[in-house]
Amino acid sequence: MTGHALAGLAVANAAVVVVGSCLLWGVRGLCSWAEVARLSGLAYMVGVAALGVAFTLELVLGVPFGLATMGITCVVLAAGGLVLGRAFRRPRPRGFGVERRGLALVAVSYVALVGVYLEAVFRAGRLAPLSNFDGWAFWVPKAKAIYFFGGLDEQFFRELANPTYPPLVPALEAAAFHAMGSPDVVTLHVQLWFFLTGFVAAVAGLLAPRVRAPVLWPILLLVLVAPRVVNRSLEPQADFVLDYLLALAALLIALWLVDRGAWQLCCASLFLAGAMLTKREGQLLAACIVVAALAASWRTRRLAWPRLVLAGAAAFVLALPWRIWFQSRDLTGELPSSGFLGLFDHLDRPWPALRSVVGALLDTGLWLFAVPLAVVAIVLAFAGGARILPAYAALVYGLSAAGFVWVLWSFTELELPYDQDEGVNLLARLCGSLVVLSAGLVPLLLDAAWRGSDGPGDGPRTEADGP
Amino acid sequence: MVVCLVLAAAVGLVYFAKAVDALGDAAAANAVANYDDRELAGGTALGVDQEALVAARGLIPEGETYRLVVGPQATNIGQFTRYFLMPRRTAEDARWVVCYECDLSRFGGELHVLWQSDAGVAVGRLPG
Repeated sequence: MTGHALAGLAVANAAVVVVGSCLLWGVRGLCSWAEVARLSGLAYMVGVAALGVAFTLELVLGVPFGLATMGITCVVLAAGGLVLGRAFRRPRPRGFGVERRGLALVAVSYVALVGVYLEAVFRAGRLAPLSNFDGWAFWVPKAKAIYFFGGLDEQFFRELANPTYPPLVPALEAAAFHAMGSPDVVTLHVQLWFFLTGFVAAVAGLLAPRVRAPVLWPILLLVLVAPRVVNRSLEPQADFVLDYLLALAALLIALWLVDRGAWQLCCASLFLAGAMLTKREGQLLAACIVVAALAASWRTRRLAWPRLVLAGAAAFVLALPWRIWFQSRDLTGELPSSGFLGLFDHLDRPWPALRSVVGALLDTGLWLFAVPLAVVAIVLAFAGGARILPAYAALVYGLSAAGFVWVLWSFTELELPYDQDEGVNLLARLCGSLVVLSAGLVPLLLDAAWRGSDGPGDGPRTEADGP
Repeated sequence: MVVCLVLAAAVGLVYFAKAVDALGDAAAANAVANYDDRELAGGTALGVDQEALVAARGLIPEGETYRLVVGPQATNIGQFTRYFLMPRRTAEDARWVVCYECDLSRFGGELHVLWQSDAGVAVGRLPG
């Protein structure tokens, strides 16, 4: 049973890579097969986001969810990418030239370490029990409901906790159930392993040609071995999926601020849409990322702002149908019970909320020192002469932390100072997004500090960037 | 910056070893359990009677509805039962009854009990 389920998952995730590769070729172009291999992680995550968004829209529109729908969606998205590539006259990938920097000794050593780590995570997750409360209480039941009833079953979505939480992860998990041939909640952990592996490969693939291996890999490994990532990244809930999507969106926007490649903004917009359809806080964090990018691009605002606003608006439009669906059914719980302005009746809360957020971000027992390292990297990049990247990163971290304070302040049912068990700790989940984000942004910042400028591009586009 | 990177690399390698060790232990512990233990792990933490839920899943057909009636000591098992018995739906007027430490006399002798445990859990069907 498990072997069959694992084989099904492998085939399904290979299909996601193909879909994502077609889309990436369409928006970016892929010059060589070595480049296809290097960006296969990014292609996989593009496929995950695109399919997750498409499945969510189909569920909201009432399209019956099943293997046929999944297959047709994959074909349509892949064909869309190929049509886009033809329209932009993208050349086919040719040759297998291995990129020199990818073969450095440090890189090879760390690739081996990360490989050993991912194998260990796989072994632990393959037979893991479903013991996480949120997992069995509503994330997996929602996935089961989509699997069994072929759609957003109103009775279950009304009865289960947090009915307004978006359905992207349950839809992807339901797709995994179809791929496995049964609602196998044990092997489901392996699907989360694919997401983790895809994210790691995406960050490494994006940064390998621009960031030196001794800068990139130790930081990436440091984030991966943070105790909370080790213990909880395979739990079948949405927290880490949200973190991956937001981290990739923020990283691509950071690269866009330096390179101005349209494909980077297109992919970032897709990841932002995916994040908004993954968890409620995805909207908050997506807004923080877009506002940070707007502020960091102040000097080129005439050129940059329309594009950034368009990318943010496109992501919001893709997330809108879900909001219409749950609001039309009077499902509640999305906003603080006291409303947006009710927080001013609780002016005793911001200070303990701020202390709780700072404490959670600096909790070395959960995150080692990923966030302090990000702060040091921002300072070093500024000191080294870079301006755009450190300003953007400082704003992303700062605005997000302010957003977390707002959450604790305005949801007055949360007792302050906030000190819940880690398994159900809302703040630990929120902070996870900034920690995972550090896996991509910190190497970029340290590289900028090393170079003494924002990056090798500093503005000009490469041919592969497309229109 | 070099200090920063050396520190990150050193901490990363130490915790890498710890992580691989811990993950190996977790894999070994997970391998010992059987599939039901893994699927019911969340309920085990709540003190749910595994045997009863497995029996209920075996007896109640997938397309049927059921009602969960709980005694005063077992009030927090509703969510887990709903998850475990999916795709069976809950309904207040369902013929199938999962009585979890409840008082069977409330059914006035009409409940045809198909499975019962010493711990006071019963699965049965009402006429109609």
